[in-house]
Parts: sequence; structure tokens; C-alpha cells
Amino acid sequence: MASILHERYVVERDDYANAGKVSSSIKEKLKLAGIPSAVLRRIAVAAYESEINMIIHAWGGTVDLDLMDDGTVRLVFKDPGPGIPDLEKALTPGWSTASEEARNLGFGAGMGLPNIKRVSDTFDIISSPEGTTLTLSFSAANA
Amino acid sequence: MKCVRACPTSALTMENNRILINDEKCLNCARCISTCHNQGLLAQGSTLADLESYDYTVCMVPPALSSYCNTKEQLYDLYNAIRKLGFDEVYDLSPVYGQIMEETVRVADEFSDCSVIASFCPLINRLIEAKYPMLLDNLAPLNYPHEAAAKAIRKRLKDKGNVGIFNCCECEAKLAIAKYPYGNMKCETDHALAIVDIFPEIKKNQGFGHMKIDLCREGLQASNPAMIRQKDEYLIADGFDKITNILDMAEFDMLSDFHLLYLFPCFNGCSGGHLLFGNSYLSRNNIFPLTDGSQTMPTKLDFEMIYSDKMAITSEEKLTFQEKMELFRKVNAQLERLPGYDCSACGMQTCRIMAEEIVKGNKKISDCHIIAAAKEKAYEN
Repeated sequence: MASILHERYVVERDDYANAGKVSSSIKEKLKLAGIPSAVLRRIAVAAYESEINMIIHAWGGTVDLDLMDDGTVRLVFKDPGPGIPDLEKALTPGWSTASEEARNLGFGAGMGLPNIKRVSDTFDIISSPEGTTLTLSFSAANA
Repeated sequence: MKCVRACPTSALTMENNRILINDEKCLNCARCISTCHNQGLLAQGSTLADLESYDYTVCMVPPALSSYCNTKEQLYDLYNAIRKLGFDEVYDLSPVYGQIMEETVRVADEFSDCSVIASFCPLINRLIEAKYPMLLDNLAPLNYPHEAAAKAIRKRLKDKGNVGIFNCCECEAKLAIAKYPYGNMKCETDHALAIVDIFPEIKKNQGFGHMKIDLCREGLQASNPAMIRQKDEYLIADGFDKITNILDMAEFDMLSDFHLLYLFPCFNGCSGGHLLFGNSYLSRNNIFPLTDGSQTMPTKLDFEMIYSDKMAITSEEKLTFQEKMELFRKVNAQLERLPGYDCSACGMQTCRIMAEEIVKGNKKISDCHIIAAAKEKAYEN
């Protein structure tokens, strides 16, 4: 299984002005690659939620996009901290630690991680005070 | 080259100092026309000479044109002047716009678990088809007002012989949809007239009488974003950049709280259509005076006339997913060889379009002006 597309994007902490730009470019790239709409919709939702999480909860980070020749799309969101103290709670719908600033902007409804998990085909999260790595994959081949 | 860069679907290229438009990609948005400072591009409608081919002719007038009149006197004069162009009948579209607007709202309220996108604008439908295929299912299944009206007119006039139905168009997208409808859609409108083209003729006929007409307020409101009945669950927006931003957000599922997305690519809605003239801000103030006292209620056309499941076509997939990915890989490989400045000097909008053309065999890497210049310099040294 070889990667036919690899892109790395950088997300800055508290950069609300550019929130969504990275997910937009991921979406546009995958549209060009011919990913079917039904899968692309799930990828778009997951990418957007994860990007926003990085901006409002983490200290920024990187996003790696890989498209494999078998039609698998892999997204890796890697941030340098501060980590998610209670992962189980974070995966509970409605639970949120978002700041007042973020909530005023309409983010932080506590649906981020549960939503991401719901729409992705595989969902893997590792978190410690040194950082969080979220790995998602989607299978576009037989959609 | 402004036009090449303005195209949202990269449909324009420049070859040997001529602008070529790729029909398959073009959405008829006319951004190329409006951006050109040399008036080098033009959308051509039918002419009044086409009236002679019919036994009986009908001219449909959109609400956006009616609402340019300040008073009822002016309105009656306008309708009379249009009739004097040689039409047997002048048909006001505002009651049909009213019905389709009300039906769109009803559909949106009923299917409140997703955002319904109003489908009255050909450009919105084609934009979604070409660039936002994830939203195809959100399009309201309602026909264009002028098409629904034309169906009703043709049914009513079936004993009049050869009936010619003409639509006065306020924008290039409507001009195009009436002349060249989708392959899967039977078009009831025979001719599309650009309002700016026929206006000099209308002007000559003004001041010679009245044709009394009662407009439909809901219909006039339906083509003006500032006048649509607002509700918290409706998102109403105008202007091309704004609406593409909204469609982007809709693809991220961020707008699911809205039941209805009522989007106008033209600034100030259909009143701001490129083939109209004058001040589109003023027309909204005319809506109430024009419908004060006597007005017509929205039509009650049959559902089969106002509903259509063909507002956008999902084009037959020519390539399988594997083939598409393979093409994407090849284009990416060529793209890496190009400078990536998107300078358009080669006549293509972006380096990606150039890379696609190289893969298709239509262009060579040396057609890139930057690469060619670098080579020349290296040769000189």
C-alpha cells in the first residue's frame, strides 16, 4: 500500500481567524482525487472538528494527510500539549472544557471528539501532558 | 487575463491570444464578463426578430424587472411598452415566484433535520453540481419559476397554434438555462431575451398607454434577499464570495441548525442581475408601493408543474475511483515539476490546470513561461 498523496499542514494555537482553512484544503485536495461524496462528507466533518480542537484546546500542531493507493485516507493530528486529562470524559457527548472566548465564538459544544469518532472508520487517540496524537482513517474504495 | 483568473471552475484558457471557454466546466456565472475592463466577452440572447416564427407570443417578466418601477403608473406603462414590442401577451412571473418561494419554505420546514437549499437560481444548482457535490441531496426539488410558468402557459394556450414563450432574463445564468437547458430537462421556454438588449426598444414604446397589472408581493420579495420573510432558521445571503463560503461551511455540517439556505450569487439578489441596469438598492423600496391596495396572490399551479427532481445532474461517472486516483497521481507528479506561482502566463488559470493539460498531452512542460525563461538563461550562461 503506497501513498499517492502526502501533505503536511501547520495549525497555530488560538488562530481563530484561520480556523477551518486546513480542513478546507484537505477537502479540496480529496475532491480532486475523486473521493466519493459520502465518504468525503465524513472526512470533512472529522477534519474540521479536529482542526478546531487543535486551535482552541491544544497549543497548535500539525496535520498529516495521506491518501493510499487502495483508497484509504489517513489523517494524523499531532499537538505538543497540554494533553487531555480525562479521555473518557472527553469522549462523552456534551462534556467540554472550552474557554469562555471559544464558546462566545460558537465553538466548544462538547460534541467534538464524540462526533469525530462517530464519523470515522478507525479512530485512535493517545494523550499525555506532552501532547495528543489523533489518528483517523476512512475507507473510500467501496463506498 | 482577468477573466481567466476570475473563473470559479477554471473553464477559461487563453490560446494564441484568444479566450476559450470549456463548455463542460462553465457554470454561466458571468464573472468573466463582469471582470473584463475591455468588454471583451458578451452573453448573447435571442432577438425580437424571433417573434415572427410564432402564431402567438408570450413575454414573461420577472419580479426583478417589475420592481425597478417606482410607481404603479410606471409599471403599467412598462408592461404596455413590452406588449407593443409585438407580443400577444405579457405574463407577470411574480405570482409563480411567490408560489415557489412558499413551497420552498414549506419543504424546508418539513425536512427540518437538514438544510434545504433553494433551487430557483440556475447558478446555485450548477455550482453545487460542479463544486459541492456533497450538497446535491440538499437541493430543493422545485422547478425554476419561469419554467413552471411556461408549462402552465403552454397548457392554457394549447389551441393557439404555434406558441412562442420568451423569458426576459436578468442575468447570464438564466439566459443560458433557457437557451441550453440540461440534457435531461425538457425546456418549455423557447427564447431568452437579455433585458439590457431589449430595453432600448422598450424605451421607444413608453408613454403610449397602460396595461393594468397586479403584482404579487411574495413573488417580488422572493427575488430580493433583503425582503424575504426572515426566520431564525433561515439563512439568506447574497454575493458570490459569501455564498461559496456558506456552501463550504455547509459541507463541514456547520449549518445543520438552519432549515433553509436561500442563496443569491448576485449581490442584491435577482434585482442585482448583471443584465439589469440602474440601482438595485432602490428596487427593494418599491416592493410595498407596487403592491399597495391591489395585489395578486401566489399562483396555485399543480405540483407536477412546480416540482422537478432534475435541478442538477450528477454527470455520469466516466472514470472509476481507481482511474480517478491514478489520474490525480499523474497530475500531482507533473504539478511538482511546475513552479507553483499560478501566474497564468501560459494561459491556464493555475499550475494544476497546466499539469492536467500536460497529462492529457495538450501541453508540454516547456510551455511554462517560467521554466522556458530559466532554461534560456541557463543556455546564455
